[in-house]
Amino acid sequence: MQYIIVGLGGQGILFASRVLGEIAIKRGENVIGSEVHGMAQRGGSVISHFKVGSYKSPLISAGDADVLLAFDQNEAIRNLHFLKNGGYGIINVHKMEVFQNESLKKYLTKRNISTFLLKGYEILNEHMKGNYLFLNVLILGAMGALNLGGISFDEVEDAVSKLSPAKFLDDNMKALDLGKMATHES
Amino acid sequence: MATERAVLLGNEAIARAVVEAGCEVACAYPGTPSSEILPAIAKFADLLDTKTVVEWGTNEKVAYEVAISASFTGKRSCVAMKHVGLNVAADPFMSAAQFDIEGGMLLIVADDPGPHSSQTEQDSRLFGLFAKVPVLDPSSAREAMEMVKDGFELSERHKIPVMLRPTVRVDHCRQDVELNDPLRLERPAKFVKDVKRWVCLPAHVKTTHPKLNQKMDAVKEEFTKNFSKYNFEITAQEKPKLGIIAGGISFAVVMDLLTKLGRKDISVLKIGTPHPLPLDLVNDFIARHENVLLLEETYPVIELQITDRRNVKGRWNGYVPRAGELTPEVVEELVCKALGETCTRDADEDLKKAIEELKITPKPPMLCPGCPHRASFFAIRKAFPDGIYPSDIGCYTLGVNQKTVDTSICMGASVTQSSGFYLAHKVDGQLRPIVATIGDSTFFHMGLPGLVNGVYNKHAFVLAILDNQVTAMTGGQPHPGTGQKLRKGDSGRIVPIERAVKGCGVEFVKRVEAYDIDEGVKALKEAWEYAKDHREPAVVIFGHPCMLLRQEQPKVPVRVEEETCVGCKFCINFFNCPGLVFDESSKKAYIDERFCVKCGVCVNVCPHGAIQVISEEGK
Ligand SMILES: Cc1ncc(C[n+]2csc(CCOP(=O)(O)OP(=O)(O)O)c2C)c(N)n1
Ligand code: SF4
Ligand code: SF4
Repeated sequence: MQYIIVGLGGQGILFASRVLGEIAIKRGENVIGSEVHGMAQRGGSVISHFKVGSYKSPLISAGDADVLLAFDQNEAIRNLHFLKNGGYGIINVHKMEVFQNESLKKYLTKRNISTFLLKGYEILNEHMKGNYLFLNVLILGAMGALNLGGISFDEVEDAVSKLSPAKFLDDNMKALDLGKMATHES
Repeated sequence: MATERAVLLGNEAIARAVVEAGCEVACAYPGTPSSEILPAIAKFADLLDTKTVVEWGTNEKVAYEVAISASFTGKRSCVAMKHVGLNVAADPFMSAAQFDIEGGMLLIVADDPGPHSSQTEQDSRLFGLFAKVPVLDPSSAREAMEMVKDGFELSERHKIPVMLRPTVRVDHCRQDVELNDPLRLERPAKFVKDVKRWVCLPAHVKTTHPKLNQKMDAVKEEFTKNFSKYNFEITAQEKPKLGIIAGGISFAVVMDLLTKLGRKDISVLKIGTPHPLPLDLVNDFIARHENVLLLEETYPVIELQITDRRNVKGRWNGYVPRAGELTPEVVEELVCKALGETCTRDADEDLKKAIEELKITPKPPMLCPGCPHRASFFAIRKAFPDGIYPSDIGCYTLGVNQKTVDTSICMGASVTQSSGFYLAHKVDGQLRPIVATIGDSTFFHMGLPGLVNGVYNKHAFVLAILDNQVTAMTGGQPHPGTGQKLRKGDSGRIVPIERAVKGCGVEFVKRVEAYDIDEGVKALKEAWEYAKDHREPAVVIFGHPCMLLRQEQPKVPVRVEEETCVGCKFCINFFNCPGLVFDESSKKAYIDERFCVKCGVCVNVCPHGAIQVISEEGK
């Protein structure tokens, strides 16, 4: 199973791969992935690779990823080429109309790529006082609810609660549930 | 404790192994991609309750010398840095390589092919060749852990420092690894005086240099015979069409590619000890393959040591790119090319079109919303619109976006470049305002000697020290100005920047609040007057904590008044905050709530007064 996680520096992407790592170790699986630290983190485009299985290299080749978790819609589109045919993307959107672009629609259909468009900012504005720091957990909640990569919501919940600092635990649990609810509504 | 498994960042894994190996003195200066190593050493030393001393040095040369001296006494020591850090530490590195050290000494140098976060793409393995020091080149976090332990032993067997050279993909990989108990070495520090051994007199080099050569011969023999866990062959199941020699992360990339393609007609020789190269292994492999491809990052270091490269497709004959990272995509193309086959990669015409139509471009790094540097740069430009702005390395290099960073060479060069610019104009009888910017950590790292030089030689310039109380660029490490240290319960003493500056002989020193643009402009003008009149450097310290420190500060919500905004883009071009965006359809600026942190600084930026504080009542 190969995951690509993309977004902008400062959006809390690294936490997502730590959660995936925690889940894998509990299952006794081998993992290897790659993260971005340093200059690129200052608000610029960032990408994490995460592979579960007997891989040696931390990097995913274009066209090989099973799942794309995108914290930003522009970064999602820039990195769609990582998804394999039949891959799945969860995308945090702030401008829905972009996904009406014909070329984009054609690409997704041709490649048989499914997407779940999550209005993360809207949800966090409404339910979490606009605290966007919880975007990562919100996306993970949706991932678990959609059972992507064969990971259940409970597994996600366990891993998040284990890795959460105590003062964020309650809010993180709430964000997970909001992510789950969002998948039910659409 | 039984063996345990955990998913760690490559740098954490390296750190864990350093503690497990019984290292007692660990030093470093931060630098991507090495920065996480030292804090993780402190974390594991606390967790495992070892005696290990863990310290940030003020620069890499300092850190190197502290570490190697501990090894003179029999202690195991290590020093970590990024590749360009070794340029700074090159002096002790070259010299001490000739000593017969006592305790094992591991130099961890992190390279950055790409580069992702660096000013060069240099290959530290070549430095190993230069200094005649053995180099271990890990292909994963797991292998790096083993190499740390073997590195210390190798170092002790041959009495020579050993270099571990992870690249960014090893440092910043995340992998499941084994955790073990630490070695608790009972080795009291014992420094035995011996002038021949510890003093680098020219006369001694006549014996130490030949001895170093003998050490290299012995290490090479060991690498050839006893290190099959790092140097091994994966033989093709069918008659090989291609033999690939690969080192470091390139080996991992090649193996995943061969598995994906299901190729059984390609052999691979992995080299984990690139210097001194186990030449017999390599030559034997080359002799058995007509077609050989050599993959290593970033310089041809294995390649240069091969005596007959004629059958090898590498950098010397233009096969492998001489710059940039060997990503999976690049490696796949190279393998196909070496096989004489065409790569089958789907063309993403629709996606390309969508990206063009939607005008999606990669987002370049920017200073954080609320970053104090942005305000300081704005003040500098306002005070001296036609000044020369030498700058330095740190988050503040992103001041290029505000057109307030004219130069940047390497750490500390902002100060010395100011001297150079001053002198170049002086010989023509000219004088131009020069305002250099340097971060607080960079100031302690290498700003001090340049400042002393400017005072001594009487150079007129203003040095703006951007004191955000942290080494921010590399993730937020402390420095002498903060007095903080890494191990639990350990604390240092604060070295106040003002006193350091005065100690260098600077007479004009003024501290301002970085968010206060007017105060900054005033101080800068005064400083330049002083510098000009006295022909000496004047210093303005811009203080305000970095956003990474998340210190409480008043929230000042702002808005752009649409009727007042004339669409001139001044705020975008000269202030450049992610929270301030320009709407191309309405031709007005607006606040992007996703990013704005309500620092309120931009209110003083708009020349038309369109950016306004939202008052208590909401409007
Ligand atoms: C010789 C060398 N060592 C380390 C680095 C990595 N590095 C880049 S900037 C920087 C320091 C930044 O700290 P500071 O000067 O306080 O500026 P800030 O990032 O906080 O704005 C470091 C250590 C480097 N580029 N060169
Ligand atoms: S990390 Fe700190 S110094 Fe760097 S851009 Fe952000 S606020 Fe500025
Ligand atoms: S108040 Fe202005 S300067 Fe501060 S973060 Fe918001 S937009 Fe940027």
